[in-house]
Amino acid sequence: MVTAGMADSGEGRHEGERRAGARRRGQGELEAQVLSVLGTAPGPVTAAWVQQRLGGDLAYTTVVTILTRLHTKQAVTRSREGRSYVWNPVADEAGLAALRMRRVLDSEADRDAVLASFVSSLNPDDERLMRELLRAAEDPSPPPEDREG
Amino acid sequence: MGVFVFLPLVLPLTALPIVRVAGQHLHPRSATRLLTVLGCVLALCSTVCLLLLMVVGTAQLPGNPLPDGWSDPEVRAVVPYPEVTGTTAIAVLAAVVAAGGVTVHRHRRVRTRAHAALAGLPHDPGSDLAVLPDPEPYAYALPGTSRSPGRIVASTGMLSALDRDEREALLAHERAHLTSRHHRYLLVTRLAGCANPLLRPLREAVAYHAERWADEDAADAVGDRKVTARAVARAALLAPKGVSAPGIAAFAAAGPVPRRVAALLEPVPPSRSWPPAASPAGLAAFIAAAGTTVSAVSSLNASLALFLVLKAATPL
Repeated sequence: MVTAGMADSGEGRHEGERRAGARRRGQGELEAQVLSVLGTAPGPVTAAWVQQRLGGDLAYTTVVTILTRLHTKQAVTRSREGRSYVWNPVADEAGLAALRMRRVLDSEADRDAVLASFVSSLNPDDERLMRELLRAAEDPSPPPEDREG
Repeated sequence: MGVFVFLPLVLPLTALPIVRVAGQHLHPRSATRLLTVLGCVLALCSTVCLLLLMVVGTAQLPGNPLPDGWSDPEVRAVVPYPEVTGTTAIAVLAAVVAAGGVTVHRHRRVRTRAHAALAGLPHDPGSDLAVLPDPEPYAYALPGTSRSPGRIVASTGMLSALDRDEREALLAHERAHLTSRHHRYLLVTRLAGCANPLLRPLREAVAYHAERWADEDAADAVGDRKVTARAVARAALLAPKGVSAPGIAAFAAAGPVPRRVAALLEPVPPSRSWPPAASPAGLAAFIAAAGTTVSAVSSLNASLALFLVLKAATPL
């Protein structure tokens, strides 16, 4: 799994080098890359270690930003060591899959054509209507059509 | 073939009334199927007519690979309209093919990418459910490919917000999408919309009825319509607000999700496959059926006429 992730990130890097400059990788892709690098770490590692393993085409501050973002998402933990943080992954295979899935969902504009979502988003009017309907659905008394005779 | 060749291009308009009222008297399963069949036939006829116009149009172009006889004035007379119709048809047909190709390609890409995202997950052979640790609430039915079976993808953010019964309803809903292969209906109607823009409204309608179909199946599976209604309502209230898709918002006054919940709080819809004749839906279905028949007959008539003319014009 992690190896697959590494191969993936390596591929992305080559492609990135080809299109250097104009390239702008998606947020989710970077997060998955950082996380898969972190997964190969022997223990808690510094952002510089991660940056080095990523191949150095990302700025140190970018790596720190991504790590911080992953920390907010609770995909990594950090602890202070000296003047900087060391990072540790908490996301397992399922966590990585979640990040990758989010990447697909975020980048595909018309995913709804393939992936039938359970619900689509509501506009404010719908929301009011929905709360009324939910009250009706939570009403313990059976609706008239359920009453026999 | 005369004017008949143009009829199938505008006859998709006859399907619009039934798109609006299909839900009134029909079970969502019948509504989904009816609208998909109508869209499919109307789109095919419309494309056949474009093809015929294109053949005649291409035959007029200098240096075309078609037999010389095909550009004879008799063939030309079959389409009694300015020469520009033929060349326009070529451009339009190219656009139709391109749009269809893009749609199929995107469909495949989303599917492949989503399966790739799940590839690392330990696969429990007894379960089609993939639970992803993500605070964002979402749940999807991911149709299978030739290599991977269909899966239900749900985030912990979604599952933890529902109680046990509601979770069961959600899973039954997604499973219904997979077992009834709803993505195929969605793809077919999207392609129909590419073939003729007049068929675009079918897309949202079929998407809505497919959701309703899955809702009904879920209510059946868990044996409680209220629980299913609650699951849909709770899940919808979790989702980010105010970014409703424009096409869906314009479709009716209330959005699709409140209408789904309201429908689940009503009794089970009748399981007929054709609306009663005396209802507005019955009239709309009749108009659509008549339009589709005329469209099929026109394109068949035009194809035959062109075939005979071209056969006569082709030196043997």
